[in-house]
Amino acid sequence: MENKVLKEQVEKLAAQVNGEVEEIIGELVLKVKASYVIETLKGAKSFPNVPCDFLHDLFGVDGVDHLEAVYQLTSLRGPQRLRVKAIIDRENPVIDSATSIWQGANFLEREAYDMFGINFKGHPNLKRIYMWDDFKGYPLRKDYVTEPIEVRNIVRTRIEGE
Amino acid sequence: MTIKETEELLLNMGPQHPSMHGLFRMVVNLEGETVTKLEPKMGYLHRGIEKLAESRTYSQFIPYTDRLDYLASPHNNWAYVQTVEKLMGLEIPERAEYLRVIFGELARIASHQVCIASTALDMAGWSAWSYAFRDRERICDMYEMTAGSRLTVNNMRIGGMSNEPPAEFWPALKSFLDDTPEMLEEYNGIFFGNEIAQGRLKSVGILSKELAENLSITGPCLRASGVNFDVRKAEPYSIYDRFDFNVPVRYGCDSYDRTIIRMDEIVESVKIIKQAVRDIPEGPIMAKVPKVIKPPVGEVYHRVENPKGELGFYIVSDGTTKPARLRIRAGTFINLQMLPIVSLGWKIQDVVAIFATLDAVLGEVDK
Repeated sequence: MENKVLKEQVEKLAAQVNGEVEEIIGELVLKVKASYVIETLKGAKSFPNVPCDFLHDLFGVDGVDHLEAVYQLTSLRGPQRLRVKAIIDRENPVIDSATSIWQGANFLEREAYDMFGINFKGHPNLKRIYMWDDFKGYPLRKDYVTEPIEVRNIVRTRIEGE
Repeated sequence: MTIKETEELLLNMGPQHPSMHGLFRMVVNLEGETVTKLEPKMGYLHRGIEKLAESRTYSQFIPYTDRLDYLASPHNNWAYVQTVEKLMGLEIPERAEYLRVIFGELARIASHQVCIASTALDMAGWSAWSYAFRDRERICDMYEMTAGSRLTVNNMRIGGMSNEPPAEFWPALKSFLDDTPEMLEEYNGIFFGNEIAQGRLKSVGILSKELAENLSITGPCLRASGVNFDVRKAEPYSIYDRFDFNVPVRYGCDSYDRTIIRMDEIVESVKIIKQAVRDIPEGPIMAKVPKVIKPPVGEVYHRVENPKGELGFYIVSDGTTKPARLRIRAGTFINLQMLPIVSLGWKIQDVVAIFATLDAVLGEVDK
C-alpha cells in the first residue's frame, strides 16, 4: 500500500523532470538527466507522507557509453526507498553537488570523483579521497587499464579456457 | 620575556599511531590545545576491493568481504551473500538462517567488545581493555572451532553455510551466554563507572539529531543521538522478524552515550542468540545452488545492520559469472564525516575520544 503512494509521487515527479520510472526487484528507480538532479532530489525529499529524506548512499556507475551517479534514498521514518539515477555525459562528466541538500554527500561525492572522475559542481572540497593527489586516471571506469596488456591477455586466456 | 601572541599549530596525527585504529591520518589545526580545523585523510589501506570484485566470480568474492570490517566478518559475508541471493531469487534453508543469525549476533558482541576496549585504551584504561579482549577471545574460539580461523571467518556461502558447527560449539556458546551479565557488570564497574572515563566522555562531542540525519550517520552513533532506527526492525532481513528484541536508543548525543549504547546492544544480541538457539530446527544448511553462479541481468541493493553502521551492497549483473559493478556502502566511512564537524572547539585529547567512540575500522573505511 505504501509502495502505491510512493509510486504515484514518483511518477508525478518524473513528469516534472522528464524522467523514466522503472521497478527493479521491488525497488523504484527514477532515471533523470544530470541537469535535473537537484530538482529531483529536492522533490523526493519533500514527498508528502512518504518523504525519501535520508541519503543512504551515493556512488558512480560506469554505463560504458555514459556515466551514472546513483542516489539511494531511504527514510528513517518509513519503509520507502527510491533510487535516483542521473545520467552523465562521459566526455564532460559534470553534475550539481548534493551537498547543498545533505551534508552527508561530502565524502561520497569525493569518492565518486576519485573513482569515476565525476565533477560535482558546488562541492566545498572536491579532492581525491583514496588515491593520492597526482594519481592519473579513474580506477573504477571500465576503460582503466589495471595491468600491462600482455599480462592481461595471459590472465584472460586462462580464465576463458577453464 | 612575555608571549605576545600564539601561533596556530599544524599537527599531523597518524597514519602510524596506536589511537588511529589502523591506518587513519588526520591533520589538525590547533590553537593552544583547541582544535580549530580537522581534516581526515584516508586511503592508506585502500585495496580497491570494488575493482577486484569485477574480476572475481561471485563465490570468489566472499573472502574479500571478510577484509572489510574485519572485527565483524560474519556480518560482511552475510550482507554480500544475501545480496546475491536476492538477485538470484534463492531461498535458503531454515537452519542456515538461524546459524547466520547466531554468528552475526556473536560478531556484533565481539565488535562491541572491541569498541569498548579500544575506547578505554585510548584513554589509558589498560585494565578495561584487557577485560573486554579476554571475553572476546571466547567468541574467537567459537569461530575457530567452526571455521578454522579466528578473525576472517568466511563461513557463509551463496545458498547457505559452509559447515555445521561442531558438537563442542553449543556448550561453549551456552556458557558464554550465561556469563555475559557478569561480563557487562565488570565493564560497567571498571570502565563506565569510572570517574575519569565519565569525565572524558560525558557531554563531549555532541552530535545533534538533526546533524546526524543530515550527515547520513547510521548504526549505534545514530541511535545514541535519539533516533530509533535499526534495519533489523525497520526492514527485517533474514529471519529477524521472528525474534523478540528491543532497539536501544539513547538521547545524550555525546561520546559517553555512543559507547554505552553498545552495552545495551550486547544485551539485546544475547537475547536474540538465546531465542535462536532455542528455536533452531534440524535440516540441511545448504540450498540447491548451481555449480556456476550466474545471476540474471539486473541490479539489486541490499543493506544490513552491521555492528558499526549500515552495510549495503549494490550489485549490477550483466548475466555473466562476474559482477559488472559492485558497490560497498561502508557504514563507518560515512560515519567519519561527523569527525571534522563534531570535534571543532574540543581539545586534542577529546578528538581521540570522539574518534574512538565512532568505532571506525579502517578496513571498511578504506575498502
